[in-house]
Amino acid sequence: MKRIYVCNDEVTGLFSAIYDAWRAVVVDGVPECGIRFRGHIEQELFCEYTEVQENEKKVQAVERLILRNLGWYAYKRIYQAALAADVRKGDAVLGTMLAAREIPDSRRIMDYMGNAQVQKVFELSRYVGSEAHQWMEFLRFRELKNGVLYAGFAPKSRVLTCVAPHFADRFSVENWMIYDETYQEYAVHEAGKQWVLVSGERLDEELTGAFSKDERMYQDLWRQFTTSIAIEDRRNPRCQMGHLPLWYRKNMVEFGI
Amino acid sequence: MRITQDLPVMEKLKILTDAAKYDVACTSSGNQRRNDGTGLGSCVQAGLCHSFAADGRCISLLKILFTNECIFDCKYCTNRRSNDVPRASFTPDEVCELTLEFYRRNYIEGLFLSSGVMGSPDYTMELLYATLYKLRRERRFQGYIHVKAIPGASLELVRKVGFLADRMSVNLEFATSGGLKKLAPHKTRKNILEPMRLVQNGMAENKYEIQTYRHAPDFVPAGQSTQMIIGATPESDYQILQVAESLYKKFELKRVFYSAFVHVNDDKNLPARTDAGPPLLREHRLYQADWLLRYYQFEAEELLSEAEPNFNVLFDPKCNWALRHLEVFPVEVNRAGYELLLRVPGLGYRSAQRIVRARRLGSLDFADLKKMGVVLKRAMYFLTCNGKMMYPTKMDEDYIARNLLRAGEKLPEGADGMTYRQLSLFDDVKFGGGINEKNLCV
Repeated sequence: MKRIYVCNDEVTGLFSAIYDAWRAVVVDGVPECGIRFRGHIEQELFCEYTEVQENEKKVQAVERLILRNLGWYAYKRIYQAALAADVRKGDAVLGTMLAAREIPDSRRIMDYMGNAQVQKVFELSRYVGSEAHQWMEFLRFRELKNGVLYAGFAPKSRVLTCVAPHFADRFSVENWMIYDETYQEYAVHEAGKQWVLVSGERLDEELTGAFSKDERMYQDLWRQFTTSIAIEDRRNPRCQMGHLPLWYRKNMVEFGI
Repeated sequence: MRITQDLPVMEKLKILTDAAKYDVACTSSGNQRRNDGTGLGSCVQAGLCHSFAADGRCISLLKILFTNECIFDCKYCTNRRSNDVPRASFTPDEVCELTLEFYRRNYIEGLFLSSGVMGSPDYTMELLYATLYKLRRERRFQGYIHVKAIPGASLELVRKVGFLADRMSVNLEFATSGGLKKLAPHKTRKNILEPMRLVQNGMAENKYEIQTYRHAPDFVPAGQSTQMIIGATPESDYQILQVAESLYKKFELKRVFYSAFVHVNDDKNLPARTDAGPPLLREHRLYQADWLLRYYQFEAEELLSEAEPNFNVLFDPKCNWALRHLEVFPVEVNRAGYELLLRVPGLGYRSAQRIVRARRLGSLDFADLKKMGVVLKRAMYFLTCNGKMMYPTKMDEDYIARNLLRAGEKLPEGADGMTYRQLSLFDDVKFGGGINEKNLCV
């Protein structure tokens, strides 16, 4: 009978589920396994459902397994796919890892575009990668009264961990914080130190709403700049929208707020 | 001319952004640099576009003129000395402050500093140097800086600026020296090519220095670029493309930018004002051909010729080439070399690379190609998978052209020859009769 592992929709949950499913297939010889996420389960017939015990040890074991056998490139692709907002990503990652067992050089797995699961991982990873890239571009920081730079954004995929290292390098001398409104997570960086991921905390809205003295001025200057840089004779809102879709604009200074 | 002193920064920004917007290059690519922990900033190899303006062009850098108080009188430029426009100048401190404050809010990727010529080319270049020095050395800014070399400035100054910037550029303005003489009387071909050569040699020397001494300072690490104005002078696409090609080959430029001429001044030397707007399709075709030169191993001679000096309005340059060389096609996906795959319309260099990698592990069919991102609506007329075409296709130029048009890109009104506009004597691109001029620039 097909065995389905149920976990939380997080990297820890997904990798723990993969650990269990991998053991079931490779060691116990279960013919078919699947992975579903809590809250997104459509009950299927002829399946047995198992809850996954999530822990860091399983995650590290799976990471080691992937890095050793599939290589760094495949690990990056799989990690990005694990961040996607897609309920089938667990099956795709597991399927890719199992497919790698069948081929002579498992480090070549991401080139097997003929395999549907590999294809899916590739597609998801490409989507997440480009969303992360675009948030690096379109994220906007505001300077708060206490000098901290604060940015809020609402991504579709869980890209905060892809975006934060970029800013940790670039703004190494600043205190900053990024808030992911979709998944309620924070990346916090103190000048000169490493950034940390914080979840399960609540934000003091009064603090993040209080801007520093010059903040308004620079926002106005920026709006002025973006207005005067456009050439009226070449006006093309459709082209603008193609490059910068409306849903990204919610927190952008030059488009309203 | 109103030279206004003591303007608020807001006014200055408005005037000097407005004056800088016709410069095209707004890329922040070509250099990867990590932050060293002493100041703001880093560079990303691929570049980042932080916003898009209402005209659809990307905003990557804070693109401003240092001053628009210009002593030159270039006919096409809004800042020419004979125009009555408000004038303003930044101070180096103001530019630093704006750059850093915008940068730390993640509005921009760096600074694009250009300038009108105030006083003399040397004086202006010194001001640019002072600004960059403050930003780079005193404020420790490590983001991207693109700076223009002022034609006619002393080469020593250009060299010094090169050690502070990531990318430098000198505008070539026109493909022929005749065009330059007519429309930019204060610039000469020599003044433009000299700094270009200097930067090229500087970069070559620097490559050697960096190999020898690990901490040698970088000289223009992201390379140099230039730009040409399209449609203000009677040059053909063929001439422009040849010039671009020789710039890539002889001057090792990173990019050549093309700027569709926008009417801002009325001058007897400029083409008559029409309602058609800037020649955007022509600019688009030139960029497409430019990519073919840089990434697809095409030569200018293959795309255009004396007999056919302008681009086809209906087909992009690659499609056009393929239609004229049907003897090469169809190409077998599972066996053709990488160079040949690059020449198939609808196949980009990324999908070509993916094909080459994936076919080692098994043969490919059309469904696989589709998943890899190949544009089959164009590619299907030129490809076979395991000896079979996607649909039965006649290898006939008219037949394929007709089918391609049906699935083709959206063209501007009138591009298919069906216009209901009044015929005009001046519609032809070859106005002015200067087409046979052989004085190409490089």
